[in-house]
Amino acid sequence: MNAVTLRAWRDSAFRLLAAALFIATFALTTMVLLNAELAQRFAVRTAEFLGGDLQLSGSQPPLSQQTDALAGARHTLVVDFSTVVVHTDRLLLVSARAVDNDYPLYGVLQVANDRFAPAAARQRGPAPGELWVGDQVLDQLGIAVGARLTVGNKELTVAGVIRQLPDQGGGFYSMNPRILLHRDDLAATGVLGPGTRVLYRLLVGAPARAITAIHSGITSTLRPDQRLEQVADAAVRSMGPLRQLTLWANLGVLLISLLCGATIYLATVQRVRRRTRLAGLLRAFGAQRKQLVSRLLGADIAALLPVTAMGIALGVGTITLLQSALTAGDLDGNQTLAASTGDWMAVIFSPLLLWLAFSFPQLIALTRIPAMHVLQQRVGQRTMAATLALLGALSAPVVLAALLTRSLADLGQLLLVLAGLGTLLPALLWPLLKGFDLASQRLALPTRLAVRRLSRRPALTLPLMATLTLAMAVLALAGQTGHQLLTSWRAQLPTEAPNYFILNLFDRDRETLRRWMAEHGAQPQELYPVMRGRLTEINQVPVREAITKESNSEPEALNRDLILTQAARLPNGNRVQDGQWHTEDGSPITTGVSVEQELAQKLGLKLGDNLQFVSNRGAFHSTVTSVREVDWETFAPNFYFIFSPGSLANQDITWLTSFWLPPGDGARLAQLLRQLPHITLLDINALLDKAQGIVGQASRAVFLLATLLMLAALLVLATALLGGRDRRARDYALARTLGARQQLLQRTTWTEFLILGGGSAMCALVAVQVALYPLSERLFAGEPAWSMWQLLPLIAALLVVWCGVVGSRAALDRPSASLLREQGD
Amino acid sequence: MNQSPLLDVRDLGKQVSGPDGPLTLLEAVNFTLLPRESVAITGPSGSGKSTLLGLLAGLDVPTSGEVLLGGASFSALAEDARAVRRGELCGFVFQSFHLVDDLNVLENVLLPLELNHIPDPLNRARQWLGRVGLDHRLKHFPATLSGGEQQRVALARAFAVTPKLLFADEPTGSLDHGNGARIIELLFELNREAGTALILVTHDAQLATRCQRHLCLEQGRLYESALESAQL
Repeated sequence: MNAVTLRAWRDSAFRLLAAALFIATFALTTMVLLNAELAQRFAVRTAEFLGGDLQLSGSQPPLSQQTDALAGARHTLVVDFSTVVVHTDRLLLVSARAVDNDYPLYGVLQVANDRFAPAAARQRGPAPGELWVGDQVLDQLGIAVGARLTVGNKELTVAGVIRQLPDQGGGFYSMNPRILLHRDDLAATGVLGPGTRVLYRLLVGAPARAITAIHSGITSTLRPDQRLEQVADAAVRSMGPLRQLTLWANLGVLLISLLCGATIYLATVQRVRRRTRLAGLLRAFGAQRKQLVSRLLGADIAALLPVTAMGIALGVGTITLLQSALTAGDLDGNQTLAASTGDWMAVIFSPLLLWLAFSFPQLIALTRIPAMHVLQQRVGQRTMAATLALLGALSAPVVLAALLTRSLADLGQLLLVLAGLGTLLPALLWPLLKGFDLASQRLALPTRLAVRRLSRRPALTLPLMATLTLAMAVLALAGQTGHQLLTSWRAQLPTEAPNYFILNLFDRDRETLRRWMAEHGAQPQELYPVMRGRLTEINQVPVREAITKESNSEPEALNRDLILTQAARLPNGNRVQDGQWHTEDGSPITTGVSVEQELAQKLGLKLGDNLQFVSNRGAFHSTVTSVREVDWETFAPNFYFIFSPGSLANQDITWLTSFWLPPGDGARLAQLLRQLPHITLLDINALLDKAQGIVGQASRAVFLLATLLMLAALLVLATALLGGRDRRARDYALARTLGARQQLLQRTTWTEFLILGGGSAMCALVAVQVALYPLSERLFAGEPAWSMWQLLPLIAALLVVWCGVVGSRAALDRPSASLLREQGD
Repeated sequence: MNQSPLLDVRDLGKQVSGPDGPLTLLEAVNFTLLPRESVAITGPSGSGKSTLLGLLAGLDVPTSGEVLLGGASFSALAEDARAVRRGELCGFVFQSFHLVDDLNVLENVLLPLELNHIPDPLNRARQWLGRVGLDHRLKHFPATLSGGEQQRVALARAFAVTPKLLFADEPTGSLDHGNGARIIELLFELNREAGTALILVTHDAQLATRCQRHLCLEQGRLYESALESAQL
C-alpha cells in the first residue's frame, strides 16, 4: 500500500465508505452464492428423486439409436421388476432393481452392514454376485447379512441392508420389500420372461442445455410404451419454508445494498466537501482533468480494491463453511461452489456497481468544478444533475435485486415491500416525532434540547429512524423466524415428530404394537387404515386420456400403486383449500374423497369429479368433495387421496402409522420385528436430520444477513453523525458559551440517541408484532409465538445509543473558543 | 468614585506550542473594566484579539496570569464553573451570529435563559425580541432571516440574561455598511439601557471611538490607545 492509498484511510469519511462497501460486498457475495447453492441443492434433490436429469422409461429396453443420442452424457440403465426371492423354503415377493456400476447418477445409497447398524453412504450398487436387501427382507425371511438368497435361477449373497435409495422418492408407492442386484446377474436369474412386469429406466445426467438436445433427439424415436421425463417435470415439491427464507434474505440484501449505498453517498458528500478546495486549487494551478481524476479518484479505487476483495473472500468463506456443514457425511458432497459464471460476475461487479452509482458521479463532478467556483465559494449548491445522479444511483440496488432474484415476480414483490416501507415508515414516524416535540415542552431541559435536535431536522431524523426501525425489525424477524422454524422442527422432533413409519400392520397387530410402544416410551401417532390402489378413470375417461388433454406430463402418482386411506379427522399439516372436509365436529358432512391440491391441479381435478380406483377387490368409485393443501415438509404420513370414513369398508385394509422412539438400543426394534415379522419398518431419522440441518443453516444465513443489515443501518447513522459533526460541535460550543455545563450537554446527547434508538426500537417492536401475524399464518400454521428474539431491537437500540454517544464525543470536546477562531485571528 | 472593577486582568499571557517551539500569543496583559464601562479592543490581524477575548470570557485558559470576574477568580475555575459564571454574568455577540439553526427565533433567545434557569423565560424572550423589533418573527428559523435580523436575534439573546458584561466580537463583520450601522446603534442603545459593561473587539477604528476606552493589541501586548474615545 503506497502513501497515496494510505492517505485515503486517514479520512474518516473514507473509512465509513469502505466499511459500507465491505458490508455490501460481503452480503451480496453471500446471498448470490447462497442462492446458487440452494437452487443447485434443490435441483439435485429433484434429480435424485427422478434418478437423473432425464429419464426414459419403458417396458422394453431402450433402442440403440436412443442410447446413441445420449452423445457421451453420463447415463445408467436401471431395470425395475417384481420377483420372488427364496431362502430355504420361504418365499418373499419383492420389488427388485438391477443396476450397473454407474448407478446412481445423483445422490448416494445409504446402506448398512447389518440390520440395526448405522447406514453408510455408498456411491455404487452391489457388485456382481451380491444382493442388497431392505430391512423387511431380513425380518420377513429371518436371515442376516451373509445369507444366500435365490433370485430366479441364481443364488446371490446378501451383502448389505438398504436404508435409502436416492431415487426412491418421497412417497411410499411400493409396499414390497426392496432388493438391489447387479445388472450383470440379471440374465443368469432368468426372471425376465415374456409377460413379466418390468420397467426399464434409462437415466441421463447432463447439463440443462445437453438435456434439452437429448430430449429433442429422443422424442421422435419414442415407442408407445416409452415415456420421457425431465427434472422440471418432476419437481413435485416447492422449496417450502426455505423459499420464504430466500425471499426474506433477498429483501435483506436489497436493504443492505440500499443502506450501504446511502452510506457511500453521504460519505462521498463529506469527502467531496473536504476536497473541493483542493480540486479548485489544482485547477487554478493548471492541473488537467486527467491529472485530477488520477489524483482524486485513483487513490480511492486503489484503496477500495482490497476492501472489495476481502468482502468477496469473506462471503466465499462463509458459503464454503455453510456448504461443508450441509454436505458433512455425504460421500457425494460436492465441495465446489454451485455458483455459475454469471453468479461470479454478479459477485465481482455488484460492489463496483454500487460504488459507481453512489460515489462516482459526485467524484467525477468534483473534477469538473471550475476554479472560479471554488474561489468564489459557489460550490456545495445542489444542482439538477446531482439530483438526477442520486435518482439514478437509487436504481443500482434494484439492478442488484434483479440479479439476485432472477424472477420478475419475486423482484416485484420485493420492490413493492420496499416502496411501501419507504413511504409508510416516515409517514407514520413524522406525527410521532412532532407530537413528542410538542409534549417535550414540559420535560427536563436535556430532553427538550434533545427532542428539538431530532424534530427540527426531519429530513435527517425520519429516514434515519425509518432505517433503524426497519433494520431492527428485520433483525428481530429473522431471529424470530429462524428460531421458530428451528424450534417448530425441534419441538416436534424430540416429542412429536415421528422418526419411524410402520406399514403392513394388521388389525390383530395393533394391541401388540400398543404394548411395545408403551414399554419403550415410543410416542404413537395417528393410525391410518390404508390399501393399495390405482386411479384409473376420471369422469368415466381413462386417466391417461383424461390428463393428456390437460398436460403433457404425467404425475408420478399415476405410475404406481398409491396408498389410499380414509380419515374422519383432517390430518395435521393439511388444510382444505376448496370444498368441504368429510366431517365437522365429528359428524359426517360429505361422502367422497379429498384430493391433494398439487395432484388435483396436475390431473385437472375439481369438486364433483367422479374418480374410479382399482384395488385387488376390483373397481370402486368416489366423488371429489374437497381439495387439500398438504405441508409435505412435516414428515407425518401424507396422502394424495383421503376417503370419507367407511369408504374402504370392503377393501383389504392394513394400517399405517408413525411413531417417535427415543434414541437408544436397536434391540428394541428387533424385538418389535420378532413380534410382528410381517410389518414394514422405515427409519426416517437421517432424512429428518438432514432437513433440519438445511433449515438451521439457512436460518443462520438469514440471521447473518439481518445482522449485516443492522450494521449497515449503524453505518448510515455513523455517516450522518460525521456529516453533522461540525454543526453539532458548534451548537455545543455555543451552549457552553451561553452557560451550559458539560454534563448537561452529555445528558442531551445521551437523551437524543436514547430517543432515536429507543423510538426506533419501539416502532420495530410494533412492526415485528404486526409482521409476525401474517408470517405465522403463512409459515407456522397461525401460531404466533413469542421469544426473546423479539427483544433484539432493544439490544440494537443500545448499540445505536453507544454509536451516537461515541460519534458525538469529538463534538462535545470541541473548545468553545473555536467559535471565535472560526472568524477571528 | 471608587468602584471595584467588574473585570480585572492581571499579567495575562498565552503560549501555545508550535513546530519551532513555544509561540507567545499574548504577554503581560493588564487592564481593568469597571461596571457599565465600555472598552474597544482593536489590533491588526494576528495580533491576538480573538485569543484575548476567549481568555477574558473564560472560553480558554491562560498559561500565565489570571482573570477576575466580579471580584472573584474566573480563569482559575474549572470549565463547568466558568460556564456557569459566564452564563450568570456575561452576554455574547459574535461576528457570525452563531444562532442555532434548528431552533426558531424565540427558542434561540430562550436557550441561554433555560440554560441559566432564569425565571419566566418565555415572556422575557418575547420582550427582548420585541425590543429588537422581531416580535413578528418569533417562529421563524435563522435560515429565513437576513444577516441584520440574525444579529438582532443575537443581541436579544445576549441581553435577555441581563448580563453585567457583554462581549461583542466584530458584531458588524458579516454585515453590509447600512445593517452594520443599525446594529451598532442598537447595541449601544441596549447597552446603555441595561447598564452593561462592554468589551468590543473590532477592526473598525471609527467604531472603537464610540467606546469609553480604547485598547490596542499589537504582537500580543495591550496598549492604551492614544486615540480619544467618546464619552458615552
